[in-house]
Amino acid sequence: MFKPRPKQLAVLAYRSGYMGVAAVPGSGKTATLSYLTAQLLAETELEESQEILIVTLVNSAVANFARQVNEYVKANGLLPGYGYRVRTLHGLANDIVRGKPSAAGLDDQFSIVDERESNAILAEAVDAWVRRNPEAPAAYLAPQYAENGHYRTQKWAESLTETARSFIRQAKDDLLTSRAVLELLAQNGGDLSLAEFCAEIYSDYERALAYRGAVDFQDLIRLALQVLRDETAYLESLRRKWLYILEDEAQDSSRLQEDILQLLAGPDGNWARVGDPNQAIFETFTTADPKYLRAFIESDGVDGRELPNSGRSTRSIQTLANRLIDWSLAHPQESIRARKPLSKPYIQPTPAGDPQPNPLDDPAALVLVGEAYSATKEGMMVTESCKRWLAQNPYGTAAILVARNTRGSEIVKFLRQKGVPYVENLNSSSSTRAVIGALARVLAYLADAKSAGKLAEVYRVWRRDDRDDPADAAEIKAVSDSLKGLKRVEDLVAPRGEHDWLEDDANDESGAGHYADLRAFRERVGIWLRAAEMPIDQLVLTIAADIFRDMAELATGQMAALHLARLGESHPLMRLPEFAAELYDIAANRRRFTGLGDDEGQFDPDAHKGKVTVTTLHKAKGLEWDRVYLISVNNYDFPSAEPQDSFIGERWYIRDSLNMSAEALAQLASLQQGGAYHEGLASLEARFDYAAERLRLLFVGITRARKALTITWNTGRGTAAEATPLIALRTFWEEERKKEAAREPQR
Amino acid sequence: MASISLSRAQAELASAPLTGSVWLEGWAGSGKTSVGVQRILYLMERGIPAESILLFVPQRSLAQPYIRAMRGQRAHRGGQVYVHTMGSLSLKMVETFWFLVAERAGFRYPRDLPNFLSLEMVQYHMARAIEPIVAERDYFNSVRINRPRLYSQIVDNMNKAAIVGFPIDEIGSRLTSALAGGVEQAHIYGDAQTCALEFRRYCLAHNLLDFSLQLEVFRDHIWATPQARTFLRGRCKHLIVDNVEEDNPASHWLLLDLLETSDSALIIYDRDAGFRRFLGADPTAARRLRERCETKATLEGSLVMGGEVQALSGRLAAQLGPSVARANTADPRPALITEAHRFHPQMLDWVAANVDELVNARGVSPTDIVILAPFLSDALRFSLADGLARRGLPLRSHRPSRALRDEAAARALLTLARLAHPHWGLPPTNFDVVCALTTSIAGLDLTRAQLLAEMLYRNGCLLPFAEVRSSAMQDRVTFELGERYDRLAGWISRYVDGERADAIDIFFRRLFGALLSRAGYGFHADVDAANTAQNLVDSARNFRWSLDYMSRYDDDIDLGLDYVNMVDRGVIANFYARDWISDAEEGLLIAPAYTFLLSNRPVDYQFWLNIGSEGWSRRLYQPLTHPYVLSRGWQAGAVWTDEDERELNRQSLRRLLLALTRRCRKGVYLGYSELSESGYEQRGLLLETIQSLLRRLAQEGQDV
Repeated sequence: MFKPRPKQLAVLAYRSGYMGVAAVPGSGKTATLSYLTAQLLAETELEESQEILIVTLVNSAVANFARQVNEYVKANGLLPGYGYRVRTLHGLANDIVRGKPSAAGLDDQFSIVDERESNAILAEAVDAWVRRNPEAPAAYLAPQYAENGHYRTQKWAESLTETARSFIRQAKDDLLTSRAVLELLAQNGGDLSLAEFCAEIYSDYERALAYRGAVDFQDLIRLALQVLRDETAYLESLRRKWLYILEDEAQDSSRLQEDILQLLAGPDGNWARVGDPNQAIFETFTTADPKYLRAFIESDGVDGRELPNSGRSTRSIQTLANRLIDWSLAHPQESIRARKPLSKPYIQPTPAGDPQPNPLDDPAALVLVGEAYSATKEGMMVTESCKRWLAQNPYGTAAILVARNTRGSEIVKFLRQKGVPYVENLNSSSSTRAVIGALARVLAYLADAKSAGKLAEVYRVWRRDDRDDPADAAEIKAVSDSLKGLKRVEDLVAPRGEHDWLEDDANDESGAGHYADLRAFRERVGIWLRAAEMPIDQLVLTIAADIFRDMAELATGQMAALHLARLGESHPLMRLPEFAAELYDIAANRRRFTGLGDDEGQFDPDAHKGKVTVTTLHKAKGLEWDRVYLISVNNYDFPSAEPQDSFIGERWYIRDSLNMSAEALAQLASLQQGGAYHEGLASLEARFDYAAERLRLLFVGITRARKALTITWNTGRGTAAEATPLIALRTFWEEERKKEAAREPQR
Repeated sequence: MASISLSRAQAELASAPLTGSVWLEGWAGSGKTSVGVQRILYLMERGIPAESILLFVPQRSLAQPYIRAMRGQRAHRGGQVYVHTMGSLSLKMVETFWFLVAERAGFRYPRDLPNFLSLEMVQYHMARAIEPIVAERDYFNSVRINRPRLYSQIVDNMNKAAIVGFPIDEIGSRLTSALAGGVEQAHIYGDAQTCALEFRRYCLAHNLLDFSLQLEVFRDHIWATPQARTFLRGRCKHLIVDNVEEDNPASHWLLLDLLETSDSALIIYDRDAGFRRFLGADPTAARRLRERCETKATLEGSLVMGGEVQALSGRLAAQLGPSVARANTADPRPALITEAHRFHPQMLDWVAANVDELVNARGVSPTDIVILAPFLSDALRFSLADGLARRGLPLRSHRPSRALRDEAAARALLTLARLAHPHWGLPPTNFDVVCALTTSIAGLDLTRAQLLAEMLYRNGCLLPFAEVRSSAMQDRVTFELGERYDRLAGWISRYVDGERADAIDIFFRRLFGALLSRAGYGFHADVDAANTAQNLVDSARNFRWSLDYMSRYDDDIDLGLDYVNMVDRGVIANFYARDWISDAEEGLLIAPAYTFLLSNRPVDYQFWLNIGSEGWSRRLYQPLTHPYVLSRGWQAGAVWTDEDERELNRQSLRRLLLALTRRCRKGVYLGYSELSESGYEQRGLLLETIQSLLRRLAQEGQDV
């Protein structure tokens, strides 16, 4: 049962108006917010169809939140889901637009293209543009690459795609259609060539979406805002409907999100925003910015509160995190300092008697390694350390945090080599991937039904419920090995005449015990083979119903079926081999796909005791482990805008270290605001922004640890150096330890 | 007289005098159609010639009870009763009197025959007529809808203008003044207007008639000729009109006229109905007919609902609007069975388990159960049918329509057509060839088909089986199958080498007759496949006929290639109807809610799926058209507001719930899962309504 502490009680006292809460990591802000929801539901006489609207950042949080509140609602004998709705911003925008699609120029059946489809459309638009404009790269390629065909086509197109993506995202955020941008360009006399390129690509991209009757995620948000602004009566009805708006993770709010929620709340409405500005780590991928939440909390008419107590980490770890706040406030680079990457409140331990006391402090469990490791060495050291620790702490939880997915995959290889038990929490969770992988294997076999190897894999899929039993697992392996050796697959799955492998050979090869089992298998595969020509969604549903027992797995299978059906609609030439490939891509983590099941709730580190979790820092948000390794903290992943730092946005083949995306955005801004554009300035500014965000990412990493934290860095391709903030923290901690040691003898 | 047992009031109405007009209204399930059926039989029994009776319905399926009853009464003298909808009647009239009016109506070739367009052909011609303008002038740039839907909304606007009776050049101004939202959307109605006019111009120039033009020609030109009026009035001495509330103002206009000269009339009106609004149904306008009828009668109450369902019906309606007369005080809860689930498949499982229980444990006939959803995707229908089949409840498929390209048999024929027409430059993919072989050759499994395709499908051609050099491989495929393959490959190769290509439908027919329907081939023993082939032939022939005719005016057409392309893109042959009504009589019906309503078939139990879906209460949103703004009762200059929309949703849901419960005898099962099949949470007005009813009932229970 949730027992609020004093600062949480102050938040729970909220009943009306605007409230802004700055929370620290581990302060229980989500728990507080769901408890507040339950309280408001209990106390408020909601009129019919009135609701409390809760907005949060990611789907997994939606499910978590809903589950918590549902428990309460069910206790009152109603169907769950009554009186409140939890949405991500996209979910909310979808609700708003679907409530009045024609106002946004959409019909009922409009579809939303996902990231993959949107990228594919953009890539097509860029390719076409690049072909039409063969001379364009000359203005931007560095001289030594200007005549190189590979750079003039492929590399140029890559950079331009990335640039156009940022440009289009920003233009949509500024509510500018491609036509509007082109008009602005026509009025503007100056040389804004990047903006011109991007505007033309934007226009092609828009046309392609319109032709499909589709919108992308940015459109959804832009259109939601547009509908709310244009349709005042509709807005009024939504204001009546959503009596309270509670916003979690408000630090990752973009301006549009703020505009939408502000409109929905109205000047006299009820809007409570909770977030930790120090954990805003999505600026690079979106137009989010923590400054919006900070400004909100400080503005007039807003009741500002804090949730500074956290029982998550030891005092030492909290001290280190607070030190990072101080250091950043006095950052050696003035431009970064001015951005206030991190801000107060400091993290404070929980008061005495709190149900969540801080773990016992052990300063020795906080290790900052200054030594320069190669990437391989770092991976091996961390792997070894993990292995030792897990052996001693079979019920403990541990995580290795990386800045990028690719580094995560490298670490997984080390762990596998050394036999360290691990779980991945990279792009999509492993259970979704397992479900999709199982379906992919069956489809791949049907697309290549004469392959014995693929048939053997189908057999494993068919027995997937038994694989955890050691005896069964051995048997599954034996049977699947014998299937793999089949010379004539058809003699098993579709025997004709005298050839029937099952009657002739199976008994000899794998023991009489498998006969019945293989007969049943043959029967099932036979059904699938005959079903192979059904529409793809029906085929997938059939297979899913045959191989999955768990409801969440079945539901994920159903979503996969719909996903493929939609894909098939926009790509009429896709057939079974291509559908199988698509599912393999999801299973192999090359595509984003949100399934249902254990990953519809948030990843739960405590469900993986005795294993190490490998995760990106971004996906680690909201999670905590006993022991945390924060690795690759070098000036490549955590730059500080110093001369020797390299920046992901700056390509070596683009002249003058220009960050094309940043320059394109600056040109867009100058178009709108009428100010002058100076080439290069934006690239520099982008460095500061990126450095500031990376400081917050580091802060997030540090605050994931409960009892023990190890930070290391590596030299990357040989040139990377220790990240400046790590040097500062390490120096600080070494001094602290010295002071501690000096005090020790006196004790 | 046939044996329908009628109440006294019903019997009196059915045997009313042979002159005079009767307006009959009442709830669904009050026995109105039984009166209508009995009336026709009575008329014929009294010696009225069948061909002087017109049975007029808004859609063909609603005439079924009449047709069934008349089938049993063949012995009467004379011809057949005329059964018509406004569409079929106007078509017939335009066909008959074409040469009298074609020139006056503005057709460019008045001495040529008219060409009536099916919906799919409208799509095809629409693409030809307006696509160049849309592309060139960058029309509809702020609207996101795909082409087939864009075209169908333009057509929809034209149809609305025709049935309501305003000129098509008023479409744009009506929509703009009523709906103008943001600036960005303002111009799209203008674009839609231009396209409608352009399509009309194109139709007149090519002797084509879509529904709107057909109706306009009928009303404005044919009806103005005395010959035509005399002709039709002579055939409509006795009128039986059912479900007049589902019909449109054009029908009402015609019926008003026919009433003047008919000897007798029975006009039946369903209260609280009017579900085909999106097709122009106008229950308010229908009531004008009431004023012209000499006798006004009402059938009260319900012959269908049990007490608990009746209570449920009343309570649900009261949640959304005024109470229905004569409140029933029974506790509705026994008639309302529900369970909450997290995932969509859980809900489907629950439905299957309950159907199982009703049929196998409680002896309910499957024909007395219906499963309803606001929308019925193929996937949903399939999952459900599959789940029921796994419980040993075999289902026939009850799909109203389905794309031909989704049928394996049709796809096989299209693939073989591509192989036989290499000059199209559309060689099929390897996997398509594999599928075409398995479907075409009896006994050929996917595995062996893949072996064959891998060895023998080269550069768009099927090589002879003899090209397989390895005898081990030949043995794997088996000689029997190899021989069948050879005959197929040989047939295609001879066709390719032949003098000239057949028309596409003739190609299909030849291939089917010469080979595929023979023993040893896939269509031989498979009735469904043979039916699909027949459907494909019909669709291709219609396509050809329509365009053969066009080739007089337009020579830029490659028929076969166009056909295959259009089917692939889903522009045509997208839906072909199966006779789902006769299907439904044999088993459990799964249908969209409104389809069920228009089948006039009460059941014991109803399952409502996805009660969280908005689709239960909301009209279809279409950015380029609007059923109310383009309706007859719309006041010029009025603005369609959100309040209108909300009120409309409440009223539509109320009507729908009344209509459904009035077709239910014993109970309603509510299927609810928190997450929809796409994984989204849903909470439409129906869910809200049910929630607050449950809350209220719980409170009342506590109070007791």
